[in-house]
Amino acid sequence: MNTQKEILQVQDLTKIYGKGANCTEALKGIGFHVLEGEFLGIMGASGSGKTTLLNCIATMLRPTSGKIILRGKDISGFRGGALADYRGKEIGYLFQEFELLDNLTARENMTLPLSLHGVAAAEAEERIQSLAALLDIAPVLDKFPAQMSGGQKQRVAAARALIADPDLVLADEPTGALDSKNSRTLMERLSLINREQHKTIMMVTHDANAASYCSRILLIQDGCLFHELRRNQQTESNAEFYERIVDVIAQLGGGSANVL
Amino acid sequence: MFFKQIRRNAARNRKGNGLFFGSLVIAIIAFYTLLSLGGQDVMRYLATVESVAVAKLMRMLPLVYAVSLFFVFFLVYFACRYQTDSRRREFGLYLMLGMKRSRLFFLLFGETLWSSLTSLLLGVPAALFLTEGISLATANLVGLGIIGHRFSFSAPALFWTVCGTVAVQLLAMLVIGIGLGKKEPVDFFHSEAAGKQKTASAAGSWVFFAAGLGLLFTAYYLGVFRLRSLNPVVLLAVLVCGIAGTFWLYRGLGGMLGRRIRRKNPDAVGLWTFTARQVQEQVWSQYRALAVSSLLLLLSLACISYGISMGLGRSNRGRSVDFSLFGQAEEIEAALEADVVRELAEESYPLYLSMLKEPYRSGGELEFDVSQLLHALASVEGTENIIEYFHLEYVMAQSSYNDLLRSMGREEIDLSGGKVALYSSMSDEGDFQRLLEAALQNRVSLGIAGNEYELLPALCNKNVVADRAITLYLALIVPDELYEELADEPQAYCRNLRLRDTAVEELGLMQAVSRLDEWFSHSGLTYDSYLSGIGRKLFYTVAASYLTIYLGLMFWLIANTVIGLKYLIGQRRTRHRYETLAMLGADMPSMERSVKKQIGSYFSLVICVAVVSSAAALGTMFTSFTSLPADVSTLTVCVYAAVALLVFALIELLYIGVVKRQACREIRRLDVTNRR
Repeated sequence: MNTQKEILQVQDLTKIYGKGANCTEALKGIGFHVLEGEFLGIMGASGSGKTTLLNCIATMLRPTSGKIILRGKDISGFRGGALADYRGKEIGYLFQEFELLDNLTARENMTLPLSLHGVAAAEAEERIQSLAALLDIAPVLDKFPAQMSGGQKQRVAAARALIADPDLVLADEPTGALDSKNSRTLMERLSLINREQHKTIMMVTHDANAASYCSRILLIQDGCLFHELRRNQQTESNAEFYERIVDVIAQLGGGSANVL
Repeated sequence: MFFKQIRRNAARNRKGNGLFFGSLVIAIIAFYTLLSLGGQDVMRYLATVESVAVAKLMRMLPLVYAVSLFFVFFLVYFACRYQTDSRRREFGLYLMLGMKRSRLFFLLFGETLWSSLTSLLLGVPAALFLTEGISLATANLVGLGIIGHRFSFSAPALFWTVCGTVAVQLLAMLVIGIGLGKKEPVDFFHSEAAGKQKTASAAGSWVFFAAGLGLLFTAYYLGVFRLRSLNPVVLLAVLVCGIAGTFWLYRGLGGMLGRRIRRKNPDAVGLWTFTARQVQEQVWSQYRALAVSSLLLLLSLACISYGISMGLGRSNRGRSVDFSLFGQAEEIEAALEADVVRELAEESYPLYLSMLKEPYRSGGELEFDVSQLLHALASVEGTENIIEYFHLEYVMAQSSYNDLLRSMGREEIDLSGGKVALYSSMSDEGDFQRLLEAALQNRVSLGIAGNEYELLPALCNKNVVADRAITLYLALIVPDELYEELADEPQAYCRNLRLRDTAVEELGLMQAVSRLDEWFSHSGLTYDSYLSGIGRKLFYTVAASYLTIYLGLMFWLIANTVIGLKYLIGQRRTRHRYETLAMLGADMPSMERSVKKQIGSYFSLVICVAVVSSAAALGTMFTSFTSLPADVSTLTVCVYAAVALLVFALIELLYIGVVKRQACREIRRLDVTNRR
């Protein structure tokens, strides 16, 4: 693991909402790095700042101070075309509510990030087919979101996040709107993609089950990192890692009432 | 506090929805202009000479106003819905903070009332200014300066304008309010999602599209070629085919667009697929609104083109004789010696016009042999009525008609070598003159007392007396020596007088006619003047062009507002899609381009069908139930209609531009960065 390259560096990141007496400090100088090919989980209680952190990395929020460096470039200074390029090419974003465009078919939704950057769908047919097979969405490629199940929608959204072969996939509670069966299917596929395609994934989640697919977990509380969990990929199974996550959360945070 | 909030919200609504506010102000101006028509200089003048017709027109105005109010209701309804849609969270918040539903309704009604008053405060002065302008311009155009301009503020018109505007707005808000009253607070916090993507079978779409096209072309064919006799069954078939065809065409269009998108998809880059799918979705979910808007635009185009071309076409035609004087030759000569007559009028000339002598009329042995003419008429389609009621009772001397033509600066007719000419001053309705002209093209001869005379291939149709109420169904223009033989009363029927062109240019036609009219009225002579004729002509101009243009404008305004607001409502409902696009890397300029393309396509889909249909509609109007005035060329009318179309296109582009600006403003409001 240590021989892997750092893909993302977050340095002393702060985010303050509001002004003067009404301000709230959501992130208080967080710093960490993500290695290439890592499957990183971010966990924390509601209001702990985990989604703020993800949104800052996704450029949906502008940090108050600090740096976010992706492959050597500080993304917090991106504007206009550079920002659009970053969003479409360098990161893929998986939303909790899928955010598929409901008037586009699955195929059209998938190829949207490509066509936005001047690549015709015909040129990416091979990639479309391989992702469709990997995520088991081939039968719904020409269907509209209204004709799909929740799980299929989220897998189409995952395919969209992966189609442009981004450096980093960001996922915000991707299983939040799915039932347990579909959650498991999605996490298995994401895990497979992480292992086989060495895709770097950073996922915010409440769900210890979903988190058990990660290789490393950062726990956040009140805008600060307060613990880190690493999975032993060779010896530790999903179930064992899950047990450990639940135990650590119980010991550090005082139970699910505080953390989950 | 409550009233301050009402005022503040109303001001915000106006700023946020300038498109609707502008349309409402235009509607108010149009309302007042229509309702105050009776007080305008032209109408006041017309009421003195054509009181019955003017009274009829005035009785029609409330009906036209009611029809406009009915259509304006939809404009207001969609605009209010657009506004309330964008404030759903605010309403939810009010309810959650403990505001009673009744108070929320009062708030909305108060805002509506305040908006109405503001639009009236802007619209009414503008309307007064405009009506005065129209009144002065029309009066000057036709030389009505003599009547004297009077400030034409009409209190009843203002009253009904205010009542109509306020009532329509409150009614629209009531309908929306009832809908809002059924919602729970939680419903307000979720924006109404766009309808589920509908999928129609490809075959079904094809069937609707093809059937729609088929029905539309059937309607065009029936209208242009089979409506000449104004058969009610054909008329009904045209209407049914046209309306059903338009609806089915739009119903099938969604599927057709889908096919095109799928075909082009693999090569599409940028936001092409998204843009096309957005348009397709609007067509699928709003095909009824598109069809209705297209039909309204069709009505608007037809009304405006018809109104302008007929109005302008009529206003320039038919002035041939300004005065016809009756009485003893000496009396007339004496009257013509006056300075004022010498100053204003050209040479006078006698009009030799008489009924035919009895034997030529009653079927005796000297009767005309019109068999060739009737045969030629029979070869022209639609002449059954003319043949059935054919009668020739009047005769006119060639010299008189040539005097008339000369005074008008036209080429004289030549009847040497055994020729005669057919004359008619029947009105243009019913295609009478056109059919006669068509029959005359076949080199027709006429037998008179055993002699063969060739008829000129052109129909003579200039008015030979000043009073337009006098029309001659059919007369024969013959050489002077033959006139002597055929005329029952060969002496002059009257003496005609035409104003000098220089006098008309200097004083204006109306003033010049009135000055001479004043002199003749004191001379004791019996006379007819163009003044009474112009009244009727003006009336037609006003009735045909004012009303049709007014209705055209209202239809145009409503159709465009419906399309524009339907698009903007749809855009607001699908706002989250643009946020997703931005997250996927779409930049602001490309999203703005997409929105502009969507609006362009959306409007084009409506306008294209309307333009094609209106071309057919105009063709139908001019070939079927109304014909062009005989001395107005098709080219003139086409030029007027083309100018109207050009103005229409320019204003339409301006309107589309306004919608695009509003839509782009909405897009720029999306703040994907820092949205949470």
